[in-house]
Amino acid sequence: MKRVLLVFILSVSVISLLSAQDFTKILKELDNLNNFEKSDFTAVYTIITQKPGEKDSVLQARVFRRDREDLFLILILQPEANKGQGYLKDKDNVWFYDPSSRQFTFSSLKENISNSEAKNSDLTRATYSDSYTIEKTEEGVLGKIPVWIISLKAKTTDAVYDRLKIYVRKDRTMLLKEEAYSVSGRLMRTTLIPKYVELNGKLLPSQIIIVDELNPGEKSQITLTEQSVSPIPDSVFKKDFLERVNK
Amino acid sequence: MKTHVTIALRNLTRQKKRTALLAIAIAFSVMIVTVIYGLTSAISVNIAENFSDILGGHIFITGSEKHGTSKEISRISNDQALRDALKASGINYSYVSSYSSTFATIIFEGKTTSLLINGINIKENENFRKRLSLKKGDWESILTTPNALIVPEKVAQTLNVEIGDVVIAKIETVYGQNNVGEFRIAGINYNADLVSQLSSYTHTAHLNEILGLLPGEYQTFAVRLPSLKETDAAAMKYYDVLKNYVQVFDRKTEANGAPMTGFQALLRSQKKESWEGVKYRLFTINEQLAQIQQFVSAADTIGTTVLIILFLITMVGINNTFRMIMYERIKEIGTMRAIGYQQKDVKRLFLLEAFFLGMIGMLAGFLLAGILMAIVSSINFGMENEFFILLRNGHITFNLQFAKIATIFIIVSILTLLAVSLPARKAAKLSPAQALGTEK
Repeated sequence: MKRVLLVFILSVSVISLLSAQDFTKILKELDNLNNFEKSDFTAVYTIITQKPGEKDSVLQARVFRRDREDLFLILILQPEANKGQGYLKDKDNVWFYDPSSRQFTFSSLKENISNSEAKNSDLTRATYSDSYTIEKTEEGVLGKIPVWIISLKAKTTDAVYDRLKIYVRKDRTMLLKEEAYSVSGRLMRTTLIPKYVELNGKLLPSQIIIVDELNPGEKSQITLTEQSVSPIPDSVFKKDFLERVNK
Repeated sequence: MKTHVTIALRNLTRQKKRTALLAIAIAFSVMIVTVIYGLTSAISVNIAENFSDILGGHIFITGSEKHGTSKEISRISNDQALRDALKASGINYSYVSSYSSTFATIIFEGKTTSLLINGINIKENENFRKRLSLKKGDWESILTTPNALIVPEKVAQTLNVEIGDVVIAKIETVYGQNNVGEFRIAGINYNADLVSQLSSYTHTAHLNEILGLLPGEYQTFAVRLPSLKETDAAAMKYYDVLKNYVQVFDRKTEANGAPMTGFQALLRSQKKESWEGVKYRLFTINEQLAQIQQFVSAADTIGTTVLIILFLITMVGINNTFRMIMYERIKEIGTMRAIGYQQKDVKRLFLLEAFFLGMIGMLAGFLLAGILMAIVSSINFGMENEFFILLRNGHITFNLQFAKIATIFIIVSILTLLAVSLPARKAAKLSPAQALGTEK
């Protein structure tokens, strides 16, 4: 009897361990999908923001990324009032450039881009496996698609959100939904990714919907176009570039 | 010279009505500007005093811990060294207190606004309760509601909230993580200036919990002095001693020409530094309310501009009157020149007459301003009104500095003498024959 019990416990432990490893692998795969360690990445992001009682606002930005050197540059193209503004990340420093004052100021990945629901961190590399630990996994269905529902808890206080719940397609590693929770455990925003495109064998989101759960009716829709993995000149990731494009 | 003074004074009394009218014009201008100067200077002092009552101090210390290269955590876990240094500094203080504060996005039924939330020990801070005038709500329910929030009237209007409504606040913890807290609107206070329009108040414990602070931790150590006047000297003394107890930031206040206050420049420069452990930042209520000082400077500039405009108008009147006087006294000038008066003597007579006129006008102006200020400051407007933060114990106060009175004196004297200089020069240039031969 003891032997049967021991085998059962060992089997359960091994199965649990294997499944935990699988989910860690899923997180890594998700990070890899959105990270470009071997090539540069460029795309135009169009963000349409809806706020109750306000007209829809449109923000368009070109994003340049070089993940292997931890560099990115966001250049605002629209609206006219924000045109030429930009965010430059060089390792730990994030700079905001305003062409009207011709000055750079310190910024953060946690800041929202202009008046939208999107944060700078939404347009940069994903770090699920680095920043979060798996707390709970379950199976579910999103629409008609079978998904893994993975609950994540931030490893350190460096993560913008303390807890995340991600919905990943079972048949192919694709993030379909992300729920972000505050430190107090309240749902703050939901991100939905209904459309993907394939670029050089990588699945890339082409449409992202971010819903503010604290302020009903407030949401942003991000559409990605002109995605490219062609090399970007080094000069783009310099402060001079933001000054130059505004001349 | 004595003869010149006697003649100039006698000349002033020859046309009493005209002299009185000119003196009244000067007195009116001086009175208006004196009252403006007195009021703006007092407003800045009153706002600073009222805020120091609300926040419980004149000198403030915050503690910063550096995490990584750019992340700074603001918290004080153990204030023993700060208390020891305060004792060792020997400065005379009334009491010490503590509070936390953060910027938050407040959401209520689809409406949002940004607001500074101050976590105050409301129960123990009697001065806070005395100073903050409530338009709606009562202190009893504020004290018994753990998540009570007192918001300014303007914010209540923006969010369309009433007493009892529950609002959501999006707040970053001290570590920079997103957090959400619920607050119950328990008080709506009057607001009159920019700073109070953006400030709200809650219990320290509730705010600290949302900020991710542990029990006993807080963000700002406040030292209350017997008077605002002692702030800068006491801060310097405390800072010098504090340096020996803990690591402290430099107290640079130069803005390096950037469009920001000295205090903002100081915070910006400190962001670039890196350190180990907790480093403390000492600042005063005067530095914190630097923007109000900028408002006062702007009001002072407006006061000086008003003085100059009013006086330019008065100058035209004085100039015309003295030209008339010159023609009225043309034969007298000729006689004086004939008996040996030099050109400079005639000119001096005119200038002395104008100087005495200006002096009489200024004295009357200062006197009238004094009477007006005494009457206005004796009225008690009470604390239950929207201008409470500008008042001191319900009274409008005036704070006249010697430098301001000297400025008025110099400007009025120069402009009066300038107004009279042309007719005076013209009168001086008349030859005795030309003056005596002129038919009026």
